Amino acid sequence: MRQRSLIAITAALSAGALTLTACGSRDSDDKGSDSGGTTVTIGIDAPLTGDLSALGLGIKNSVDLAAKTANKQKYVDGVTFKIEALDDQAQPSSGQQNATKLVADKSVLGVVGPLNSSVAESMQKVFDDAKLVEVSPANTNPALTQGTDWANSKKRVYNSYFRTATTDAIQGPFAAQYLINDAKKKKVFVIDDKKTYGAGLAGTFTEEFKKLGGTVAGTEHINPDSKDFSAIATKVKNSGADVVYYGGEYPQAGPLSKQIKAAGAKIPVVGGDGIYSADFIKLAGATATGDLATSVGAPVEELASAKEFVANYKTEGYKEAYEAYGGYSYDSAWAIIEAVKKVVDDNDGKLPDDARAKVTAAMQNVSFDGVTGKVSFDEFGDATNKQLTVYAVENGAWKPVKSGTYSG
Amino acid sequence: MSGVGPVEPGEGTHAWDAPDAGRTTAAGVGPTGPADAVDAVDAVAPTPAARLFHGLVRHRGAHRRAVSAALAAAFLLAGGGYLWATRPHEAQQAAPAPPFPSQVVDVSYLGEAAVPPDAPPRTFAFDMVLGVESGPPVTVTRLTQPYAGLSLTSAPRAPFRTKAGSVRKVVITMRVTECGKVPKNAGLPFLDVTLRNARAIQAHSFILGSRYAHDLSEAVQVACSNESGHHQNT
Repeated sequence: MRQRSLIAITAALSAGALTLTACGSRDSDDKGSDSGGTTVTIGIDAPLTGDLSALGLGIKNSVDLAAKTANKQKYVDGVTFKIEALDDQAQPSSGQQNATKLVADKSVLGVVGPLNSSVAESMQKVFDDAKLVEVSPANTNPALTQGTDWANSKKRVYNSYFRTATTDAIQGPFAAQYLINDAKKKKVFVIDDKKTYGAGLAGTFTEEFKKLGGTVAGTEHINPDSKDFSAIATKVKNSGADVVYYGGEYPQAGPLSKQIKAAGAKIPVVGGDGIYSADFIKLAGATATGDLATSVGAPVEELASAKEFVANYKTEGYKEAYEAYGGYSYDSAWAIIEAVKKVVDDNDGKLPDDARAKVTAAMQNVSFDGVTGKVSFDEFGDATNKQLTVYAVENGAWKPVKSGTYSG
Repeated sequence: MSGVGPVEPGEGTHAWDAPDAGRTTAAGVGPTGPADAVDAVDAVAPTPAARLFHGLVRHRGAHRRAVSAALAAAFLLAGGGYLWATRPHEAQQAAPAPPFPSQVVDVSYLGEAAVPPDAPPRTFAFDMVLGVESGPPVTVTRLTQPYAGLSLTSAPRAPFRTKAGSVRKVVITMRVTECGKVPKNAGLPFLDVTLRNARAIQAHSFILGSRYAHDLSEAVQVACSNESGHHQNT
């Protein structure tokens, strides 16, 4: 009996060993680390710590997923992709240091990031001087691609800068149109955080709101380092505004919304993609119901390609959510992968000596069906796919209420 | 390297080495069980034939066990293979759902259009093109614009259906009904279009860009100027 048991155990273990062998082979392919050839690094710059880390870690994980997917598919023959993620803590000075560090690493042929437009301003020249391509999944300030006088005369400043997110030149007016035409709001109190993104977005919103016949009941600027907005909340209450527009990000927008409601102004707080985060709802509390945010892109559930991304993200077991920019980050990384592929294919399967310049040049003509739809870039480096969605807080979560497509 | 990793030996699963004088055991822990018994006989076998006999006995026993183990393993693998081969395939079971209509429809602004001479005052028209990229046919069930002082009709009139891979020209005719309720210089005006296909019904805004914004503003300003009262774009 004992012998039979031993035989059975032996057989089972043998079968198990063979099964494990098969799994082991597949794991090896997944990592793509043993395929040999050239290793290309995709740099990442985002806030990986601090108040905005939820968005930053979603960016990092999504780029990691794109690199793993390319390696698994052996998408670029002879090239294995890896990532190098640096933390900018949402600070322009840190972003510039990171840009210098990524430029110094010759294996880096493209960078995804940053999150903040103010950080991007500090990085663009560093990358452009090195002809190192940068694709931001989240920057929305129009000046980054179209120059500081973009409203009157568009002029591209940096040929190495691209983005997959649409701009505040569309996002601000889109919010204004929704508030006037759909939500029937007429009197807005505008607040911003004085930063490149927040002030810019508040500006494009306000201009369109007034053009549509709305009035501005008051304007204020907050200190992003503060969490006490009670004085501003009182001003909002006394202004008689029927809506608040906030140009800024969720770490401040959440407490601001909470304190405005606590002051007695039961009116919605509206913002851009910078407040479209689950963390906004956590910070704003139960009174956030009815608050609104516009964000770039169509709702994930409308995009078949996004579903695959969501499923693969889950399979990889990332601890943090992909958040607002996950799909755009994946597409940004994949745009770099496509550009590298083009350069390698055009050079007999090898990377040329001037790979960075060639990858930057190839980026202009990249076109593929990505997570967020068709990915390609116009003459300024802006995404040609310009979709936006208005979300409302309902039952403790963001729910899409209206989407639009820019086709101008 | 795809090498098979060593299977950790369980009780009684150590390899049974051939007896030889030089055989050693690690840390003094010798093998136990039947191998010891055979080795013991072998060690005392007086003749080569006897050693051969014992060798055969040992070989047969080992061979039988090996064959049994291999058969069991083969059986397990065959069973596993069958289960693997017959596992449910999601892709085979469910065809991909059609795309949402807003993801396959594109509306673009072409330019100003002429209005009929008998059109009411303060009327102007624009040419649009609507295309359906893929998926099932899409029906436009409603086409409107958001301003209270402006009415809109379209040709063809909604509802109209467009198949995938085709485009159709749509003429939008607008009439200012109340100048005070139309913005004179909206930056990004849009059309609200309700789309229906086999997947969903969606209300979607198409933001037609700065050229449309300019032409619309100009038309509204002309329509609402003091001299106005007649149609534009003739």
